[in-house]
Amino acid sequence: MANHSEAAFEQQPMWAGGRSPFNVSYGKLMMWIFLLSDAFTFSSLLVQYGAQRFSNVVTPVTTKWPDPASIFNHFPGLHGIHLPLLFVSVMTFILILSSVTMVLAVEAGHRKAKKEVARYMIYTILGGIAFLSCQAWEWATFIHEGARLNHNFFGITEQGYKHLHSVKFGQHFEWAAGDRTFGPVPFAALFFIVTGFHGFHVFSGVVINVIVYIMTRRGVFERRGHYEMIEKAGLYWHFVDLVWVFVFTFFYLI
Amino acid sequence: MEFYTKPGDYDAINYIPHTESHGTKELWRTFWILLGITVLDFGIYFAMSPSMFKNIIFIFFGLVKAYYIVGAFMHMKSEKINLALVILVPTVFIIGLIMGLLYEGHALTYVK
Repeated sequence: MANHSEAAFEQQPMWAGGRSPFNVSYGKLMMWIFLLSDAFTFSSLLVQYGAQRFSNVVTPVTTKWPDPASIFNHFPGLHGIHLPLLFVSVMTFILILSSVTMVLAVEAGHRKAKKEVARYMIYTILGGIAFLSCQAWEWATFIHEGARLNHNFFGITEQGYKHLHSVKFGQHFEWAAGDRTFGPVPFAALFFIVTGFHGFHVFSGVVINVIVYIMTRRGVFERRGHYEMIEKAGLYWHFVDLVWVFVFTFFYLI
Repeated sequence: MEFYTKPGDYDAINYIPHTESHGTKELWRTFWILLGITVLDFGIYFAMSPSMFKNIIFIFFGLVKAYYIVGAFMHMKSEKINLALVILVPTVFIIGLIMGLLYEGHALTYVK
């Protein structure tokens, strides 16, 4: 019976309907197409960041583009210590780790191991919540220091840069009077928009993962006979990680 | 080719392809590669003074990480080549956008 239907299936023309030319389900293909469109959205935002940054000119009222190391140098619990890039590296690590647990859930789904899928989904959800908490803390610190969507108090003067460069990694650092002035507004605005848009994707991913976790626990996929929904949720979750790679590169490293 | 389809199963219209586990070895290897590149990013950030070369290194590392995430985590390497091309070729437009910015973007400094 199986051989017969397989032969009949193979005889059908590839693009005449009734079979999948890409050997992939409709839902998964559409998830890929959605992710492609989302990649365009994020790249347009990042390209705009690049355009604003490289066309920034020093005027009497605004300074040059701020060095990210001068701003994102805080770590929770270590107030006033100059630790550039450390916290955001921890955030990157959390997101990579939750990506691994997600792909382990997909792998467990291939073996139809319901309990393992549920366990790895829990780890993934916890990773997502941890990342969102880190981002909330970072936003709160940045806002507390005076950044707004329409206002940026991170124009760093020559004196400020001299002060900053005299401080080594892990040393105590506080801004002195005259270190900072009004900076380019698009810096703060694009930081909030791009990391906010990414954070909203992470939030949606966590919600999707929670729904998929509940469906796993209730045995929906077991009855359906396959765990493909985990793969679709996984594609979305890995895409969020992929976007973070580029946000990390363009906002924090360069 | 095997399908999880039975008469009356609503997934019969969905053609869920049969999947097999390929083990977790490659996934963990990818994790260590991604972690290693992130640590390298961290090291280079402090080791080098700002320059265009440093930026190019960071962008290159970003692309390497993207390759591993899409290839191994999203299983793009085990998809059919048709699907991979349908998804990857349109990203040429992103490169076009960046090239356009680099070529035309200088004019923005005159406007400001």
